[in-house]
Amino acid sequence: MTATAARREAPPRRVTLRRTWLPSRLAPYAFVAPALVCLVTFSVVSIFVAAVVSLTNLDISGLADFSQVRFIGLGNYQALFGDPAFWEALGNTAFFVILGVPILVIGSLSIAIGLNYSRSWVFRALRTFYFVPAITAIVAISLIWGNLYNSQFGLLNWLLSLAGLGPVPWLTDPTIAKFSVALVAIWRGSGLDTIIFLAALQAIPPEYYEAAAIDGAREWRQIFSITLPLMRFAIFFVTVTALIGWMQFFDEPYVLTQGGPVHATTSMSLYIYQQGFRYNAFAFASAASIVLFAIIAVVTAAQLRSRRGDDG
Amino acid sequence: MRTVRKHVTAIGLIAVALWTAGCSGTTNTPASADTGPIQVWTMEDSTSFTALMQDFTKQTGIQVQVQAVPWANVNDKLTTAVASGNGPDVMQIGLSLLPTFQSAGALLDLSPYVKDHAGLQSSNYLSAVAADKINPKGKVLSVPWVSDVRVLFYRSDILGAAGISSPPATWTEFHDDAAKLAQRGKGKYGYYIPQWDSALPVEFTWEAGGDVLDANGKVTFDTPQFKSAADYYISFYKDRLVPTASDFDQTQGFVSGTAPMVISGPYLAAGIKGVAPQLNGKWNVAPLPRNQAGTSLFAGSNMGVWAKSKHVAASLRLLDYLGQSSAQVSWFKAANELPTAKAALGDSAVTGDPMVKVYSNQLQDAKLLPLVPKWDKISSAMLDALNSIVLKGNDEAATLAKLNSTVSSLQS
Repeated sequence: MTATAARREAPPRRVTLRRTWLPSRLAPYAFVAPALVCLVTFSVVSIFVAAVVSLTNLDISGLADFSQVRFIGLGNYQALFGDPAFWEALGNTAFFVILGVPILVIGSLSIAIGLNYSRSWVFRALRTFYFVPAITAIVAISLIWGNLYNSQFGLLNWLLSLAGLGPVPWLTDPTIAKFSVALVAIWRGSGLDTIIFLAALQAIPPEYYEAAAIDGAREWRQIFSITLPLMRFAIFFVTVTALIGWMQFFDEPYVLTQGGPVHATTSMSLYIYQQGFRYNAFAFASAASIVLFAIIAVVTAAQLRSRRGDDG
Repeated sequence: MRTVRKHVTAIGLIAVALWTAGCSGTTNTPASADTGPIQVWTMEDSTSFTALMQDFTKQTGIQVQVQAVPWANVNDKLTTAVASGNGPDVMQIGLSLLPTFQSAGALLDLSPYVKDHAGLQSSNYLSAVAADKINPKGKVLSVPWVSDVRVLFYRSDILGAAGISSPPATWTEFHDDAAKLAQRGKGKYGYYIPQWDSALPVEFTWEAGGDVLDANGKVTFDTPQFKSAADYYISFYKDRLVPTASDFDQTQGFVSGTAPMVISGPYLAAGIKGVAPQLNGKWNVAPLPRNQAGTSLFAGSNMGVWAKSKHVAASLRLLDYLGQSSAQVSWFKAANELPTAKAALGDSAVTGDPMVKVYSNQLQDAKLLPLVPKWDKISSAMLDALNSIVLKGNDEAATLAKLNSTVSSLQS
């Protein structure tokens, strides 16, 4: 076959292929189908199941013998809203969100801008250094931080004693423990967000900065007038994921304090976990998880809406 | 070809099932044909148990596969097994988890088999774990295996240096001695209260002459005896005799002498010996200080048969074997866990050690925590209430009143 013949034949064949194999109208659906199937089976169905279970009295004896399971209407929700521990967990979660999200977003953004100043080996090494917490196993993190924070033989209190300061009850005072646990989570979460910000920073064309410099704009002016506006989407993305992450805050209090002392670090997720997997109150835990789901859905929807207004 | 094999398997299974059923039903079961292999879930350490099982296999020809379950995962393992229907044949059940296992319907009723298996008979065991105390009425869902009891651990060297010649025997002495020891200086305490220990206030209630179960079998903290237990508990914090840090390490504190008195079980003795062999002879154990009584906590584990076990006959033989004094004594030697069989507790291998003597005497005056399914939830509410008084400074009367209403609503 000659080259010209091939060239002449090729276009029609491609067209027929597209027409017979898949109507172009359906192609996008075919591409999203696998993700959609996974989402429906593992998220939508389980949320639906949880919603149904939350209206029953399912516990471990019901699990063994389904004939014991009864529908009890909104009884679990009533008990939930009457449980002071639930309100405390909700309050703790709000505290973690209000403390954690701004610090995480502003902190990782500042680190990213700082790291973007130079491409020398020092800065590249620092970039790795900031990313390490994000890829370290939570168990290792908890072991190390648990030992740093320990009130009897912890490193932090030892350093304080060298400076002549008294010991701090890092994880054993109800108020300080909240901050200690949040600090570990911020430290651990900042790595990934820094990388996202760094990628967004490097996508900003350097010409903008050159033009601004020629016009006499200084460093701060450049950050506020070029960097931040052009990173709006990255900031929005990190804020949404950080908010959802902090509303589902679980790992750090679970491994560091088990929610203590006296529930001071029990987040909503940890509360749900304890009800479901420690007390085997599956239906009650489902009700609590539906409430948490509703809160997250509302907050995220509100954020998306505000973003839409921003664009239009 | 495949269908033929399936039929053969099915017939084989039916035959085995009939055989098993036949064997367990008859009165004398010499060398049961059921040779397992049976699956056993034990707690934490499987090596010693596997070694014990070699002796069992030699005696009976029954093969045993041992799987160790960490304490932290027991509940997850149980719920998975209950939900899927796939469990082991025999399992070790911590007494605190017994109500959960019972209400999950996970345990086979052994009452029809008791008379044929000497090791299953309640008269062999300590009265604290008599059949009527660990089972719902008319059933035998598990049999005692190992025991554990709380005693007072004290640093005789430190107490002696503070002018205390013998360990405290009464509540007043205990508090006074703790105060003396706390005066040794900054960062020194008299005693250590683990903040997760929901059994301690219950022990104090028993010692005050009361109970946390009312006549109807419901948990109640609305008694004068619980009130004095709570007062006693709070007094150690109020007078700054105990550390307030929730991450205080008990073994470390005892070894370093920061907290030279603790109330704990024999596992602490093993821990001290392991960490600080140089302290040998500088510490000892004593019965719990008395108020109206000196009652301690009886903890430990039972053994039960999974409700859907296909090897009931072999499993029963294992339970029978584990109930024998000889097996319990060899387990004590191997794993340092106290027996539950009275005969084993009288064995010279057990009574030879003076510390073990203290444990076994205290076992005679020890009680189980209430075996009600909601105990875990109720006891954490109780502990939270007490800890919010001592750590957050909440008002005692108001907090206890709220605790009582919470507890009664949890059981309504």
